[in-house]
Amino acid sequence: MNLAQLILISLCGAFLTYLLGKASSRIRDTFAVFISLLLIIPLFCLYGKNEEITYYSFLGLPLILKITPLSWLFAIAVQTITSLSVIFSLSYMKGKERLDFYYLMLLLVNTGMLGIVLSADLISFYIFWEIMSWSTFLLISYNRGPALHAGMKYIVMSIIGSASMIIGILSLYVNCGSLDFVQIASFIPRTSSGYTLFILILFCITFGIKNAIAPFHTWLPDAHSEAPSPFSAVLSGVLIKMGTYGFILFMYTIAGLNIIINIGGGSFHYLISILAAITIIFPTFIAVLQDDAKRLLAWSSIAQVGYIILGIAIGTGLGFVGGVFHFFNHAAFKALLFLSVGAVEYRTGTRDLNSLGGLIKKMPITFFCALIGVFGLIGMPLTNGFVSKWLIYKALILGEHPFLAFIALFGTWGTIIYSYKLIHNIFLGQLPEKFSNVRKAPVTMRIPVIFLSLVVVVFGILPGIPLKIIDTISASFGFQPQDIQIWGIASETGVLNMVNIFAAIFAALIFVWLLFLMGRKKINIAQDDSYAAGAYVPKDKYNYTVDFYKPLSGMIKPYLRDFVDDFYLWLADVIRTFSDKTRKIYCGDLGYYISYIVLFLAVLIVLKMGLKIW
Amino acid sequence: MVINILEIIISPVLAFIIGIFFMGLFRKITARLHWRYGPPVIQPFLDLIKLFHQQGFSHGPVFDLGIIMALAGSIVLILFIPFGGICPISNSGGLLVIIYIMLFAPLGIALSGGEAANPNISIGISRKLILALGYEVSFLLALLALMTYYNTISLVDIVEAQDNYKWALFSPLALSGIAYFIIMPAMLGIRPFDIAGAPQEISTGPAIEYGGKYLGLFNIWHALSMFVYIALFVDLFLGGGSNPLTFFIKMLVVFILLTFIHGVFPRFRIEQAIKYLWKWPVIISLSGLILITVIR
Repeated sequence: MNLAQLILISLCGAFLTYLLGKASSRIRDTFAVFISLLLIIPLFCLYGKNEEITYYSFLGLPLILKITPLSWLFAIAVQTITSLSVIFSLSYMKGKERLDFYYLMLLLVNTGMLGIVLSADLISFYIFWEIMSWSTFLLISYNRGPALHAGMKYIVMSIIGSASMIIGILSLYVNCGSLDFVQIASFIPRTSSGYTLFILILFCITFGIKNAIAPFHTWLPDAHSEAPSPFSAVLSGVLIKMGTYGFILFMYTIAGLNIIINIGGGSFHYLISILAAITIIFPTFIAVLQDDAKRLLAWSSIAQVGYIILGIAIGTGLGFVGGVFHFFNHAAFKALLFLSVGAVEYRTGTRDLNSLGGLIKKMPITFFCALIGVFGLIGMPLTNGFVSKWLIYKALILGEHPFLAFIALFGTWGTIIYSYKLIHNIFLGQLPEKFSNVRKAPVTMRIPVIFLSLVVVVFGILPGIPLKIIDTISASFGFQPQDIQIWGIASETGVLNMVNIFAAIFAALIFVWLLFLMGRKKINIAQDDSYAAGAYVPKDKYNYTVDFYKPLSGMIKPYLRDFVDDFYLWLADVIRTFSDKTRKIYCGDLGYYISYIVLFLAVLIVLKMGLKIW
Repeated sequence: MVINILEIIISPVLAFIIGIFFMGLFRKITARLHWRYGPPVIQPFLDLIKLFHQQGFSHGPVFDLGIIMALAGSIVLILFIPFGGICPISNSGGLLVIIYIMLFAPLGIALSGGEAANPNISIGISRKLILALGYEVSFLLALLALMTYYNTISLVDIVEAQDNYKWALFSPLALSGIAYFIIMPAMLGIRPFDIAGAPQEISTGPAIEYGGKYLGLFNIWHALSMFVYIALFVDLFLGGGSNPLTFFIKMLVVFILLTFIHGVFPRFRIEQAIKYLWKWPVIISLSGLILITVIR
């Protein structure tokens, strides 16, 4: 199967799902799962191949699809997360309206993302980019109500990004004469560095908006929290990473390592690193203040994207490997967390952190998977998040950027604070009376979540498997190859041996467990037994979870207003007022229109006679 | 290989003995400072034996798992910290791994306490995590100054670089060392920063639901964490030790100084603690880091 057929199957599959839905919802569901899982197989077989196909010619420009190691990694992540999301949707979306439309759009987004990572010229890239953007818009606003507003915010920013990309494409077309990535890559070193910078900045705006880097992040919290949960997983897991893909593509495939490091005296990649650091620190602490589980995760996504871009932009092999690996890991654990929260929302009908609690007794599997996800998010050892963060920190420290390293490391403590709030307020503490007959999540919700937690743990203990692939990518961009072993990284400046760490932790756990068994046997008692000591306690919530970090949030809240969002809203308001005023001249009265024409002519005559400007 | 395995067994045992001894000494010195007589030094050890014979109660699987995870994390941490030449698995990731393995303990206890649903525990955990956010700023700045100065992320290399009395505390890293010492009471949870466990306000916070062997494990964890933070300070700023005995003497000196601080200070409120921790130690450690980046 060649690449064009792959995309075609994906596209036809999406529309076929829609048509099948008109016949029977059962067939549609089965087919959607089938088509999304089916596509993983040919993608997997493409590993290590260097296939290229010109599938169409437009205005004399060839439209090309091509697979590289980088696009293979992204394509696999995209297809896996989408398949899991489709499986999750089966029960999550059951009984909702417009389901044919939902599945159509979900699979179209998938096609768009596959197309983006596989295309090898800017026209295909742009077309697939737009397919993805618009179907994303329709999915974000699927729930109507506030979701419409969120979707509108998203699409306006997305259009600004697309406009910036169009300008870049046209400019490249005029100057370079070709839109093929290979041609552009050979053209860039011949042109002036000012022009290169201009092109890079134009595309960085596009990708920055999609990737939600500060100051372009404002669409993300609304969109992630309002979208249906399975789609939030796709959105946060892979869709915003299309921006990351674009960054890597333009910085390392098209411009090349040398140009990126040297352009503007090295200030370009340093500036992006600083933006990434800002993207880490503020969203992390804004996430601490959130009370909506999905909104918390949305802010956390912005912060984690900061780590990815920081690793990629710092311009060393170690950082690049760390950044790309963190993309992969974030796709796994953030999708896992969104799906877990989705499962909780499905069963309890709410995702308000202040009213949930104690669900570990009702949904133990979801709890343990979410716990693994949270550990990955924090970067606890034995999860994949640890390895990628370790690589990024090491790159920053050895690259002598101690302040960037500080921000990255300090962000971790913020992550702990909000992650613990998430886990504690949903699953631990007291079970409110109204949730006493909640059942465990349905099996189609548990399968994706369990699969993703396995990914998080396995790649945490044996990070060599994905790192090897990523290292070939980074070597192909001219970075120095790392000494990757199956258990981690061997190098003179510091070894990381996850298998050793795993063995140590495992042995210590066994030892402490034996110690635990040696003591006198425990008894299990009810939650309020020892606290109340037999006295009466109010049944519904004597425990304290509302405003969990009150002393902290009181202190940091004034500094954490999203000024950027306020500015954009103000700008939107000004434009609206201005447009309203302008609209008043179209009053619908013919007399006025004639007088406008006469006035205009009069002005022209005056200019001609009096000023003699032409 | 045999020596390595022997070291893996010996270092947690040593850490346990020293930690328990420190706990006893801590109570004794504090008592003498307060003009009391105080319990015998081996009292914490006797308590442990008693606790493991008493019945404990549990609130669920995470209640058990959390405390096991916390203690296991501390034991692993000890294996990473050079103790006067004994350092079994330091070669597996360096200081960055240590920073992360340090998270096992607070998270384990927080998870364990979370399942108990006791308001005192919630308040204690909330305070502990906020306090950690407070001291972590200076802690990370100090560590980064060290790692930048010696241009390595390996703790063993940092210790080796300080051989022959070239202690980091008497080098350009002095500011970082001072900042680290200032935040140490907060890391150990002793006065003026014993906010998370404040016995008179929230009845020892996270530890309140523990009884029997749970409290025993909690106490062992406490002893080990006391060992870890002080040993880390000795390794980072006082040049480690050429043999376990000199290392222990250095630890003892640092520990007694900390006990004196504990003995005479009252307790901060949590907001006051954060304001303090985000001010003086940060100013000192930040200027330390700037100094290092400038002179390098």
